Amino acid sequence: MSSLRNAVNRRAHKERAQPHARKKFGLLEKHKDYVERAQAFHKKEDTLRKLKEKAAFRNPDEFYFKMIKTRTVDGVHKLESEANKYTPEELMLMKTQDMGYILQKLQSEKKKIEKLAAVLHSVDDQQSNRHVYYAEDREEAKEIQLHSLKSTSVPTNDVSNDSKRKTSTSYRELEARRNRVSQLEKLYMDMALQKELQKKGRKRKLREDEIVCPTSKPVYKWRPERKR
Amino acid sequence: MGFPRGRSGGFRGGRGDGGGRGGRGGRGGGGGRFGDRGSAMKVRGGGRGGRGFGGGGGGRGRGGGRGGGMKGGNKVVVEPHRHGGVFIAKGKEDAIVTKNLVPGEAVYNEKRISIQNEDGTKVEYRVWNPFRSKLAAAILGGVDEIYIKPGARVLYLGAASGTTVSHVSDIVGPTGVVYAVEFSHRSGRDLVNMAKKRTNVIPIIEDARHPSKYRMLVGMVDVIFSDVAQPDQARILALNASYFLKAEGHFVISIKANCIDSTQPAEAVFQSEVNKLKQDQFRPSEQVTLEPYERDHACVVGGYRVAKKSKSAS
Repeated sequence: MSSLRNAVNRRAHKERAQPHARKKFGLLEKHKDYVERAQAFHKKEDTLRKLKEKAAFRNPDEFYFKMIKTRTVDGVHKLESEANKYTPEELMLMKTQDMGYILQKLQSEKKKIEKLAAVLHSVDDQQSNRHVYYAEDREEAKEIQLHSLKSTSVPTNDVSNDSKRKTSTSYRELEARRNRVSQLEKLYMDMALQKELQKKGRKRKLREDEIVCPTSKPVYKWRPERKR
Repeated sequence: MGFPRGRSGGFRGGRGDGGGRGGRGGRGGGGGRFGDRGSAMKVRGGGRGGRGFGGGGGGRGRGGGRGGGMKGGNKVVVEPHRHGGVFIAKGKEDAIVTKNLVPGEAVYNEKRISIQNEDGTKVEYRVWNPFRSKLAAAILGGVDEIYIKPGARVLYLGAASGTTVSHVSDIVGPTGVVYAVEFSHRSGRDLVNMAKKRTNVIPIIEDARHPSKYRMLVGMVDVIFSDVAQPDQARILALNASYFLKAEGHFVISIKANCIDSTQPAEAVFQSEVNKLKQDQFRPSEQVTLEPYERDHACVVGGYRVAKKSKSAS
């Protein structure tokens, strides 16, 4: 029955808009908008009331240590200082664990590089190695020279674009992994240095002119300590 | 994850013999150099290298479901290399490979690539790792001739665990033969295990300094490959050549400069070794350094008892 009624054309419902004269007040508020606004208002009202009640019924003898350990600065509540939250031993342990993680990642990355390098031989590229020919006499030497000049021409390869793209993707991956390894290595070295510096033992940073092999990194020297 | 791979059961097998944890051994090489001869056969990390990647047409099971259209074409293209028996695989990898004599088996957990021909037959190739094989490094270094080709008889001195020997056996094929000499029992064990599956490899666990001890096993050979890394390797080569190498045969020797004289610069060591070879009826024809793969290594190739070229011939 209702479906039949639906089939009959009905006049489209038009919502009343904000009158032009009252445009400055924005969109015309409808009842559902009012409900939302009112609910938000009453919620805030409630919160305020509750806080006021709490303040009114406050126990003047109540005390927590946080009341003297923390304070407000310019109206912002400052938390306790966490500078000495961990003991030096705990900090050392945490750093060791960080280093362990970095080392693990480094090794797994190296393994991946090894695997990739095993199947990526840069077959078409020019080699960086030295190639020496031995000849008995001058004539043979000339012959070899001619021959080697000829053979340097690059062989034409009819490899499809698809596999070319795959090859280049693999090479890019290898390159990216190598970069990552070098970064991880640097990071590991830095962390190792920091760890050594935290240990006991008198040491000092070398001046520029004292460094034997020049590096951009700081160099430290430990005072020799006699061990029994 | 399991399903598509399940089809290429052989690949799974490869994983088993490698053993995952064994990989620890490879760690020593972590310093950037990828292992030396001594540790050559220690199973490297991954252990999964042998899993392959369904390189061939429908290897991943796609072709089966669709009834194999053109779409399932080879993901990897294999074309022959300048040297006979060696191939180049292009695709996700860019590597030199050899045709696997024993399909479905990896020797040192190397990657395998199987290719489907037009007539539906499958050919399997094994990736040849230049970081673990001096011969592969020399080939990639652009050496002109290795003389190891299908049908050749090869005497291989210093076979270690049989990593390179397996590829040489792939190259010479069923008509050729490889005599692999190794002194160390430990790596010799791996060599023997490898030779069990490859009928053209004859393992000899004997000191290469005393060829008379294995003279009964070895016939005349076309090529001697020597990778013994001993200070007297030129003498060892000469001794073996006098026993087994045919006149006008060839030799390929890999020289590790550090093993011969670590105080001299590498180039000088290579030169002195070449001179020693010249005194023993060898005629070196070329020398390549194995640069990106090995430091201070060279590979020298040449002939043995080559007849003097007559002036009129040229």
